[in-house]
Amino acid sequence: MVHHSIYISLLANTIKAGTILLFPTIGEIFSERAGILNLGVEGMMLVGAFIGFIVSYITKNPYLGFIAGVIAGGIASLIHAFISITLRGNQIVSGLALTIFGGGFTTFYGQKWINMTLNNTLPIIKIPILNKIPYIGPIFFNQDLIVYLSYITVFVMWFILYRTTTGLNLRAVGENAKAANAMGISVYKVRYIWTFFGGLLAGAGGAYLTTSYAPFWLDSITAGRGWIAIALVIFAMWDPLKALFGAYLFGGINALQFQLQATGTTIPSAILNMLPYIGTFIVITISSIIVKTKHIKPPKELGIPYIREEK
Amino acid sequence: MLYFEKRQSVPQHFKIIIPIISLLIGLAIGAISVAIAGINPIDVYGGILSNAFGSWYAFSETLVAATPLILITAGLIVVFKMNIWNIGAYGQYIMGAIFSSYFALFASNGLSKPMMICVMVISSMVGGAIWALIPTLLKIFWEVNEVITTLLLNYIALYILKFLMYGPWKNPASYGFPLSKTFPQTAILPVLFKDTRLTIGIIFALISVFIVWFLIKKSKFGYEIRVIGDNPLAARYAGISVNRDIIIGMAISGALAGLAGMTEVSGIVHYLQVKIGADYGYTAIIVAWIAYLDPLVTILASILFGGLASGGYSLQITMRVSYGIVGLIESITLFSLVGAQIFLNYKLRWKNGSP
Repeated sequence: MVHHSIYISLLANTIKAGTILLFPTIGEIFSERAGILNLGVEGMMLVGAFIGFIVSYITKNPYLGFIAGVIAGGIASLIHAFISITLRGNQIVSGLALTIFGGGFTTFYGQKWINMTLNNTLPIIKIPILNKIPYIGPIFFNQDLIVYLSYITVFVMWFILYRTTTGLNLRAVGENAKAANAMGISVYKVRYIWTFFGGLLAGAGGAYLTTSYAPFWLDSITAGRGWIAIALVIFAMWDPLKALFGAYLFGGINALQFQLQATGTTIPSAILNMLPYIGTFIVITISSIIVKTKHIKPPKELGIPYIREEK
Repeated sequence: MLYFEKRQSVPQHFKIIIPIISLLIGLAIGAISVAIAGINPIDVYGGILSNAFGSWYAFSETLVAATPLILITAGLIVVFKMNIWNIGAYGQYIMGAIFSSYFALFASNGLSKPMMICVMVISSMVGGAIWALIPTLLKIFWEVNEVITTLLLNYIALYILKFLMYGPWKNPASYGFPLSKTFPQTAILPVLFKDTRLTIGIIFALISVFIVWFLIKKSKFGYEIRVIGDNPLAARYAGISVNRDIIIGMAISGALAGLAGMTEVSGIVHYLQVKIGADYGYTAIIVAWIAYLDPLVTILASILFGGLASGGYSLQITMRVSYGIVGLIESITLFSLVGAQIFLNYKLRWKNGSP
């Protein structure tokens, strides 16, 4: 029984760590589906993590902090949206600028917050009945509200993408913007909305990190998770449901790393900390081979600016 | 309402005006951010300016920071011209530092200084090139996105460095600090001017820029990479071996980033440690862009951003203003630069009613 509880806490932590990746991955899937490649996920997550942290700290309310972090991520994404949609700039460079911006902004304003800790983190809310299911209950239904929100987000977003006109229009814009425009869809509007949505969710991932999983402030606290999320988009082949598996796989690596460090291990910590990046590297390579051999196509006009013909 | 109208020709003077305005926007937003934090922007910029260009020593420190920037940017230009995105200069830089440090730490017996420096230069370039070729081969064979893989390799290189510094290569006399033993005298780059830290590394950098300039402007390879950048499919039809050129370009890019790592450990630090110039790899991307991928202009841009880095770093120590301000200014400059590209090909027009 003692052994079981270790595994259950490891898996419960896997879900927590996975949630940090799940939100940004879903967000980036939708942004890319609309044709906008946003490599600024790491920067938006950092902004969300920082704003989420300080608002939680000041208001002593982690929910307010989380919401503030989500909004902050959304606002950060609008810079990228304006440059890549309205000004038709290079999306790769603009996204990198957003990542550098997130690092610079949070390092500059975060200086006086370094090493501060939150006392009020997101509380655990047990779901009645469901949490009594053996194994499943304590892993999935003994979590905080934001984890439950992430379950709902995955299924709602999957439904929107594949079963609604909104999703159809969104996919049309990413596949063939000119044809979508001819069908009467406002390409610019759709792209702005979904880039903003991607920013909100990146902010959510960052804010969840600092209001629950790692409730303190450090420079670059997201530690490359934004890049892992971008890799997971390819792993998920732009499908929100598959993103769930990818996010939990890497959440598992994170949780395991943490558990091993906590219990004391002879493996050097540098090697343990390297694992998520090696894992991502292997996963993106294998996913790319599968995408190539199975002829799965990314959104056809991903990264290509749309220019409406002037009459 | 406002709309964009296509230009007949690209106004060349915009390529001078746009970078200058972009930098000014970056500095202006930086000033506002500083003011919001309750610090006087005039003090901050005055501090950066005097710490970067205010005296001969300050300027020599700016050139010290410009050295790795010039080297890394020269390499990035070669691949950026082909629209290949090497974001992994930081990792290649670390690998160059590790490879060359190996010889300085463990294989320096019986080698004269010139020999030792040669061995370190070559090994650093090999280390950087290997680190750049891993993602390149994956891209060529399986279309694995190089932006993500080169970036992930930055983290992997950093943790390899940390592993060595906390483990096998750690100096037993370092009181727990993660650094190696000091290099022998033969493994240290000679200083150019007395009482400065400016080494012959800057000469390596200038030679590299000249070679890259020659390659791009005067060689068949330079012509080919321009064609590949314009249209890879057309390049293939024209009989250009696109994959071969990408491999050569990435090897050059990685080798120069590796060499930059060597000039840092051998010229400046004199041992290997965990913190060796983390921002150069990313700053170089901005330098390459602001110079419109022109090798000779990157020298000037590197000195400018080297000054910002060196001045910003001194400011953190003297005024306790966070180094984050440098990243903030750099990112806004890059945003402005990318956003303003549209004015090269379009002009902003006003029309009544909806267009």
